[in-house]
Amino acid sequence: MTDAQTEPEASSAVMMDDKVTLTYVEDLPPNTVRFAEALVEGRIVGQRCPQCQRVYVPPKGYCPLDVVLLDEGDDTEVSDRGVVTGFTIIAPVKYYGQTKTEPFVYASILLDGASGTLGGQDVSGISADKVRAGLRVKAVWKPEAERTTEGQSARGWGNVEGCISSFEPSGEPDAPREHYQEHVI
Amino acid sequence: MAPVDVALIGWAQTPSVARASIAEPQLCMQANLAAVAKAGIERKDIGFTCSGSCDYLTGGPFAFVQNLDAAGAWPPIAESHVEMDGAWALYEAWTRLQLGDIDVALVYGSGKSSPSDPVQLYPQQLDPYYLAPLGLDPASIGALQARALLDSGRASEDQFAEVAARSRRSARSNPNAHVRGDEDAADLAKADYVRAPLRAHDIAPVSDGAAAIVLATAERARGLVERPVLIRGIEHRLEIHQPGMRDLTRSPSTAAAAQGAGLGGGRVDVAELCALFSPQELILRDALGLDDSVDVNPSGGPLTANPVMATGLVRIIEAAQRIADGTAGRALAHATNGQGLQHNLVAILEGVS
Repeated sequence: MTDAQTEPEASSAVMMDDKVTLTYVEDLPPNTVRFAEALVEGRIVGQRCPQCQRVYVPPKGYCPLDVVLLDEGDDTEVSDRGVVTGFTIIAPVKYYGQTKTEPFVYASILLDGASGTLGGQDVSGISADKVRAGLRVKAVWKPEAERTTEGQSARGWGNVEGCISSFEPSGEPDAPREHYQEHVI
Repeated sequence: MAPVDVALIGWAQTPSVARASIAEPQLCMQANLAAVAKAGIERKDIGFTCSGSCDYLTGGPFAFVQNLDAAGAWPPIAESHVEMDGAWALYEAWTRLQLGDIDVALVYGSGKSSPSDPVQLYPQQLDPYYLAPLGLDPASIGALQARALLDSGRASEDQFAEVAARSRRSARSNPNAHVRGDEDAADLAKADYVRAPLRAHDIAPVSDGAAAIVLATAERARGLVERPVLIRGIEHRLEIHQPGMRDLTRSPSTAAAAQGAGLGGGRVDVAELCALFSPQELILRDALGLDDSVDVNPSGGPLTANPVMATGLVRIIEAAQRIADGTAGRALAHATNGQGLQHNLVAILEGVS
């Protein structure tokens, strides 16, 4: 093998970009459609498994633990109030696109009547260093005209961000640890 | 050591449709629940679960993990996943059952192709230097293969149309089929080309769907179902990725897989072939040495229902169904992965006498 083959001159290599864009257009499954439409109306709808009685928010159309399919008849409304079960305080560093300048909170919230948490929720109306597990919160609904179903996805079964801007302290006494200790995230 | 005899004891598929309104794990759960019910077992009896799907189709990394909801992964289960057609999930489960310590396994395959554009998506499965930048979609490779077959003098466009016409007629009695028809081959052959020399009827539709099979050792199967279907042999073989480096008009990997699966042990009454383009059926018949007495794709085959990532598993289901209903004593099921029949699996199924 010659040197020329093992070490080609820089000028002999042609660099080429091959950027790939893949577009996906998804239909929301019926359970997610009902969840999204209820949110616009200011209601949070989950599904209750008739076997284990767990309430899934957002609804999945099935119970993954019992392996039973759920339908509209299993829909159940839960409260827009709940408790912070766990949280992260994020201290923003400057990078392109970062608009936050002060520490902010992402919290997991166990809504009253739900069997699992909503993750990654903004908490407002309280300084980050005062946020704690057990803190009672309520949804801050966007004005009706600003509520949207955009941002809902067939992956992860939907989210509340299009209609609820954040959660703020409700003023109720903290929930006892037993209420949330099985729901860290 | 003699292989452990494995039987198919329950199976189900969702109808193949252009656009499923429910999410992929929901499709999977429908198929799994029906297969498990038909097998007469409980979920806790399943010792191993294996699924086949493609995250590219779903459009999310680790999308296959959500499909596990359909198997009921709590309490924890022993499971595995192949980024391949569900037929290869079945192969893995068959292999797992050979160890002898478990006696029931669940396999399922699923795909929702409707959210993406196959023309855009499929080139991404090819090598990123020479093939992907060309934008070679499956129909283009299928057309190259078809052209090579025509140039070899071993097939004609009329024969392609005959394969399509027969498949579409057969699909009329298949409730799960995506397309059906009752046309004369001569009329089909008048249609415009989509990818010359392929016409629309020569190209499998792209369907959403899921399929599931419950396997059991033959010993366990006897106590569960009246007519278990035995897997007499199963084998898969792979050819080189670059389609330009092999003879596209032949399928030596199919022939080798069939030999390994024991096709030589006797004639088959039915063959369900994973021909995604009508010329591929001719190539596969040739590789398998099937004569006209063999009923090929009585379900209509992939040209009429193509739930991507489950199409091969459905071949096994359709072949098993013919044995279970008594219309076949011995059947061959074929599955394929990759482009232009690159990777092929053959299973030989028989009823228990």
